[in-house]
Amino acid sequence: MTRYRAAPAATLRIVLLDVLTLVYHRASGITHVVDSPVPEMIEVLGGVPLTLDETLAALAAVHDLIDPDRNALAARLDELVAAGLVEAV
Amino acid sequence: MADENPQDSAPSAGEPRPSRRALMLGAASASAIVSIKPALAQTAGSVLNCEIPVPDPGRAGSYIDANGKVVPPGTKGAFPPAVRPFRGEDVKKAMNGGNLPGTSYDQSRAYTNYIRRLQRGTSGFTCFASLQMPRG
Amino acid sequence: MRHSTQLRIGPVGFRVGSDWRAPVALLDDLYRDYPPPQDDIPDFNVRLFAARFWRRWLRPSVQIGGDFVIPDAAPLPLAQGLLAAEMAMNLQMALGQRRYLLLHASAVERDGKALLMTGESGAGKSTLAALLMTRGWRLLGDEFVLLDPAAGMVHGFPRLISLKNEAIGVIEREAKGGRWGPLLEGTPKGAIRHLVPDVRSIAAMEQPATPALVLFPSFGFEGAEREVFPSECFVRLTQASTNYVTLGEAGFDALTGLVRGLPARAIDYPDTKTAIATVERLWGELA
Repeated sequence: MTRYRAAPAATLRIVLLDVLTLVYHRASGITHVVDSPVPEMIEVLGGVPLTLDETLAALAAVHDLIDPDRNALAARLDELVAAGLVEAV
Repeated sequence: MADENPQDSAPSAGEPRPSRRALMLGAASASAIVSIKPALAQTAGSVLNCEIPVPDPGRAGSYIDANGKVVPPGTKGAFPPAVRPFRGEDVKKAMNGGNLPGTSYDQSRAYTNYIRRLQRGTSGFTCFASLQMPRG
Repeated sequence: MRHSTQLRIGPVGFRVGSDWRAPVALLDDLYRDYPPPQDDIPDFNVRLFAARFWRRWLRPSVQIGGDFVIPDAAPLPLAQGLLAAEMAMNLQMALGQRRYLLLHASAVERDGKALLMTGESGAGKSTLAALLMTRGWRLLGDEFVLLDPAAGMVHGFPRLISLKNEAIGVIEREAKGGRWGPLLEGTPKGAIRHLVPDVRSIAAMEQPATPALVLFPSFGFEGAEREVFPSECFVRLTQASTNYVTLGEAGFDALTGLVRGLPARAIDYPDTKTAIATVERLWGELA
């Protein structure tokens, strides 16, 4: 079962600007401009690695999830992994 | 430097934080991340591989006169559109005195004049601009 | 390299070597009021050379070299040697500048505060900067703005103002008593003519300014304006920077620091009169 975990907090510099958030990833030197739910996902994935369903549950526990769609979350996770901000373990 | 909690950085610091904020995951086909790519590296990498159509697709079918201006099809003394777009590498050679591939001397001159006149917004302009100096 | 000269533009010193006398003579003339590099030590070297030895005399064409080069850059005819020198110095900045975050923008200063204008080629930022200079603003630069990551101030890079095509005539009329370089026709960007910044702008070139307003102008449209939020401003400025990525986290900090709290507007303008009026109004409201 694939589990996901965010890059270590020490490697991420996160700045909330307005509707968008900036994430500077020290390990890669790349700046990412991200929209919700990415910052929220990075937060819930900052601890123990979680599966897709555990991530969904964690988000729903802290936020009022308007569209709790597994496929949408999977797409977001894929994006995060491709960007190097989340690791699949 | 510890990362900032996005909620702590919210502009409205004076209001009590809502315990549960609404969150949307978004459509599966949408994208939530844009990564900043170095503009110059892109330019340098694509210089020789980019393409310049003559004329731009918006004026497909039009002819090119000897000065590089786009004129109606069949205009006397003007040249028909290029069969396929030219690669940046070929345009560079043509600017240095060669001929564009598959063209006569006069045709090549007409096409390179067209390319020199390319304005921002016309297909192929970014490729041409990258052949000159990087604009930063 | 038989001919050479040295000059300083803002905080950056250059040494220019050339196989021909003409470009160096032009630089010496047009940059005559500029200081030499700090301690006579240039930050960048530029070379204007003939690719094959016969190119010094037969249809002479100028290849650009220096500390930083891009492969296969097209040569320019000797008649455009001044343009080659300017492009070469630009290239050193675009590829080699590490001390300051480079923004591809024009800028003017008033009361210690800087107005930045940025956008694509042809948007009018050089022309607007030149016009504002003729109306009493200090010119910081028409092409590059240098952002100091440490203190957040912007430093000027007041090189010769590069005006193209129709803008040449517009500014020739407005810049009374201006000193101009030769009219260069048939360049890759059309006709170009260089205007020397006024004496006041040159004299003040070492004084930084506090960024107070950024505008994204677009020429050739009916007058309109809209607010630009910090995130859009940030992304647009990264696209206008050649060294944002190479500066790493310092670049990130400098740029986020700049856009937070900096008022930003996108303005469309049909003519320069409207543009200047809009600029003055927005400055009064926001700076």
